[in-house]
This record gives sequence, C-alpha cells and structure tokens, in this order.
Amino acid sequence: MRGFEPLAWVLQAITGIAMVFLITVHFFATHSAHDLLSYESAVERLKSFDYKLFYALLLIVVSFHAFNGLRAVILDTEGGMKRKRLVNVSIAMLAILAIAYGLFLLMRF
Amino acid sequence: MKFKIKRFNEKNGSYWQTFEVPVRTAMTVLDGLFYIRENLDNSLAFRASCRMGICGSCAVKINGKPRLACETQLSKFKEVKIEPLDNFAVIKDLVTEFEGFFAKHKKVKPYLINPKISYENPVEQIQTPKQLKAYYDFTLCIKCGACYSVCPAGATLESYLGPAALASAYRFNADSRDHGKEERLKIVSQPNGVWRCHSAMECSEVCPKQIEPAKAIQLLRRATLR
Repeated sequence: MRGFEPLAWVLQAITGIAMVFLITVHFFATHSAHDLLSYESAVERLKSFDYKLFYALLLIVVSFHAFNGLRAVILDTEGGMKRKRLVNVSIAMLAILAIAYGLFLLMRF
Repeated sequence: MKFKIKRFNEKNGSYWQTFEVPVRTAMTVLDGLFYIRENLDNSLAFRASCRMGICGSCAVKINGKPRLACETQLSKFKEVKIEPLDNFAVIKDLVTEFEGFFAKHKKVKPYLINPKISYENPVEQIQTPKQLKAYYDFTLCIKCGACYSVCPAGATLESYLGPAALASAYRFNADSRDHGKEERLKIVSQPNGVWRCHSAMECSEVCPKQIEPAKAIQLLRRATLR
C-alpha cells in the first residue's frame, strides 16, 4: 500500500459496509418493541457491557466514515488540496475529539 | 437546420449566435461548422483535423453531450446546440485550452519504460495475443477530452489527473513489455490521483471510443492497494 490515501479509501469502504450491519442492529435494538426509545430503556440498555461495546464500535466506525468523507470533500476543492496537510491534521483532531467525547458519554452510564 | 452556437471572445464575452445551415444527406456537425465558417461567418473558431474520429480535435458539446463533431450525423437532430467542452478554459468560441490536459497526461509517463529496449541494438519485444488484449482497448484513447469535460472531480479540482491520464497510466501498466509499473502507481496514488474519483462513471458514458476510463481507474486502485 502506498501512503495514507489508499489506506483511507480502504477504511472508508470497510466502515461503510460495517455501518450497514451495525446500524441494522441499532435499528432493531431501538425499534423492535414499543417502549425501547424511552429514557429508562435507553439507560438500561447502555448500562450493559455488551451494548456499551457495540455503541463504542458504532461510534468509532461512524465517526471515521463521516470525518474521512468530509476530508475527501474538502480535498476535492483546489483550496483544500493546496492545504492538504492542514486539512488532514484538522479533520483527524476533530474526529479524535468527537470519538473521545462520545466514549466519555458512554462511560458515564 | 438551426445551429445555435455558444461563442466567446475576450472583447464581447460569452454569447449565443444562431445560424441557418442547409443540410444534405450524411452531413455531420463538423460539415455544418465548416459551412458556417466558409459562407456565413469566417470568425467562428473551432478545432478540427482528421475528420474521421481519429485525432480527437473536434470534441465539442452537442445538444448537451460531449461528442466528436466529425462523427455526429445531423440527421439525428432537429436543431443543434453547440458549446465548448466543460471543465476547460475557453480561448475563443469552441476552442478550449488543452495544455493542462496534456501536461497531466505527460505526468503519468505514457510510454514504455523498459531498460532492455535499446535503439542501437533493437530486439523484438514479443507479446502474446492474450497479453495484448489486457490493455488494447485503452490504446484507443484519442485524447479528445470528452471524459475530462464531464468528470465531476475535474470540475472542482483542476489538479486532478483526470480519466484520460489515468486510463493512459493503466494502459502502460497492463502492458507486459513495460517495467515502469511502480513509478506510475506512485504517481497515480497521490492525493490528486485515483482517490479523487467518485465513480460517477460519466467518463465511460461519453467516451467516443468506448474505452471505459472509469474501469481503468478502478483497476489502478486495485493495483495500488496490493
């Protein structure tokens, strides 16, 4: 593999496929019965270690896919391509921040 | 038949002009353009050379789609609307700037790289029909720019190598006589290379030689990941 771009592209594809399965599970976990979206049900669910692990994985996968997609959109412009190092570093920092904040919230349950 | 042409010059900017052209059987759009220049307005600028779909000079947007003017029969249409190719700077009328396009083509080293080839002591470079078939379709590119003119990545990023240059890179990488694969993969794998393609597939859709540059880009991606 040659550099970061091919790796980013492969991970974008992998996270895209992973999201199809993870979001399907999330959909069933929250919509398979009538009261699963209530505050009590959500707290109950997030207290379980398995769900915590599942949502941590979903958070990482979705965040990577979204921020890497945003990076690709910015690099598609002349201004973004001229400052690609700045774009890469800024987006990576934003992604790390979003994942860290999400994990922090998950751990609170 | 009405010829509605999008014209441009530095003094007047961009404007539309309509000409009435008498049509004969088997007449092409290029014949119509020559008729206008010879009989109605000799200031009309357009490019043309071979008149047989080989040189790629006469690619223009005809009724919204990039086509070779010399290969487009007028009998297809009730009236024709002709514009210069998109994603290229217009110099005058239908003539666009191709320097950047060819510079990108040059960047991907579109020639055989083989240390064994010696012009002093030439040796036959043998190739089986199967080896030829692996890249033959991509040799048909006439560098008309139609693919680049419809590429959404090319529209937003001028430095993107573009479908024609990438198809050319694949053509030489798939050639069994070539030894420059690694050099080219390094070039096409840069941020302004194959990763900027978003698989709109329009390049393959409009190619007058049906060479599928989008397929070449996907194959280059696969090679880059190995």
